[in-house]
Amino acid sequence: MIFVTKIRVISFILFIPVLLLQAQDSFEEQFQLAKNLYVKENYYDAITELKRLLFFDNGGKYLFEANDLIGQCYKQGGKFTDAIRYFILAEINTKNPDQVYKEKVGIVRINILRKTTESAFRILNSLETDSRFKDKIDITNYWRGWAYIFSDDWVNAEATFAKIDSAHQLQKLAEKVNNELYSVGFAKAISYIIPGAGQIYTGEYLSGIMSLGWNVLWGYLTVQAFAADRIFDGIMIANFLFLRFYRGNLQNAENFAIEKNLKISNNALHYLQYEYKGLKP
Amino acid sequence: MKIQVFLCVLLSFVSTAFTQEKQIDFNSEKNIKKFADYLFCDKDYLRAAEEYQRLNAYKENDTIIFKSGLSYLFIGDYSTSIDNFAKISNSSLFYKNSKLEQMKAHYLKKDYSVMRSFYKNNFTNEYDYSDQAEKLFYFSYLVSEDQLPQKEKFLIPFNSNENEIISSFYDWKNDPPYKSSALAGILSAIIPGSGKIYTGDISDGIFSFLVTGVFTFLAYDNFHADHDTRAWIFTGLAAFFYGGNVYGSVAAAQIHNAKITFEFNDGLNVFLQNKNYFVPVYDFCN
Repeated sequence: MIFVTKIRVISFILFIPVLLLQAQDSFEEQFQLAKNLYVKENYYDAITELKRLLFFDNGGKYLFEANDLIGQCYKQGGKFTDAIRYFILAEINTKNPDQVYKEKVGIVRINILRKTTESAFRILNSLETDSRFKDKIDITNYWRGWAYIFSDDWVNAEATFAKIDSAHQLQKLAEKVNNELYSVGFAKAISYIIPGAGQIYTGEYLSGIMSLGWNVLWGYLTVQAFAADRIFDGIMIANFLFLRFYRGNLQNAENFAIEKNLKISNNALHYLQYEYKGLKP
Repeated sequence: MKIQVFLCVLLSFVSTAFTQEKQIDFNSEKNIKKFADYLFCDKDYLRAAEEYQRLNAYKENDTIIFKSGLSYLFIGDYSTSIDNFAKISNSSLFYKNSKLEQMKAHYLKKDYSVMRSFYKNNFTNEYDYSDQAEKLFYFSYLVSEDQLPQKEKFLIPFNSNENEIISSFYDWKNDPPYKSSALAGILSAIIPGSGKIYTGDISDGIFSFLVTGVFTFLAYDNFHADHDTRAWIFTGLAAFFYGGNVYGSVAAAQIHNAKITFEFNDGLNVFLQNKNYFVPVYDFCN
């Protein structure tokens, strides 16, 4: 009899964890359901199920995971402001420094994507100076490099990736872009001296020659008018024609350099988007 | 032995209670409604509407139907919103509100003639919210291309605070301060720049006059001095600037008119949003 009673007690004690395990399952199942929807790229429904989980999760067990996943869903859907909101909520509910780092990097990556790189740099600076993340300096630099790329600052991007590895794939890319970029200041400066030279420097030969031609023509007519004592003619031609074309030549040279640089940057970004295999924002 | 049995029973109750507390049927009617209400108050209206639609009680519960209608209205799905409001029976507390919301939905859908017929068929002077409905009814004439009613009649539903601004909207709509693009072009063809001065672009007008005048003078002067080549260059430039001045004046009048229309519509929208489309503000969340 005593033996039977003991068995009952032991069985019951064993039964309690089973019940508790079952209790966890309904929340865990809900979380897994949301995760599966996320994996299937059904981000809208994933957010609904995660919000449902958070609403009923009075114990706050899933506050970090669910908010993080909602942030990821919003990010995938291009709703960057909402994504940041949920990453911040996840960050508030982190349990260890690794989770803090993960969320902060998540926010940095969104800021890179939406080109609010000043915010990205601010967070990266705080990560760099935080003693908890000293061993993650390479990851911090990696995202700093990306932030420089999205700020169109290829010089600093090159230098930052070089800190990780002097032969880093992105360092090589940034170096190549830097070599290809035109100097906007130089294009403008040489156009001050020889009209059209800036355009020729950026490879726009026809435009350069046309600009030179117009400036020579109106310059000649201006000089000729002054030489013939037709002062009013001279002032009018100089003001409305020569100076207009001269100013236009300077703006033209500057615009061509900016436009060409944009093309070079966009080609690099195109490569990063479609061909680069590493981690992207 | 008895103590052991008692403990077993006690533990059994405790663990069962704990399990029930932690085990949640996320898709029970009660929980769907709780979650939908939360989403509604969190202003996640699309999800709220979808959750309300999942409820079996959806067909019977007028509060749920009304909140569902509001959710669809907030997300801009006006047709579904109207369908929802139309389901509310005349015995419901929300019946009169639903009629007003249907008017708002028709207005936002830009179905002004449907909205006006709806008003005439559903609102009488004795009816609750008929004042608000009448305001929206008359206001719709300001945004549509239909003939405006008489001003005195038009202003009757509006109170003294609203009267002044509604009156100015009425005057603006009745006689908008547009500029004629044809007149601007003709003026600039006669006196370069005068069309732009007419449309209010005074500095542009003076500049056009000076540039066209200077090149015309230079052309004349060079022809007079037998410098034919230069004279033809200046003639070409004068013609170019003259043509540009006429075209620019027509464009300036069109831009001016577009700006006036935009400012007028923007003013109407701001006013109406501040007045919440003359419908009551519901507090389902506090």
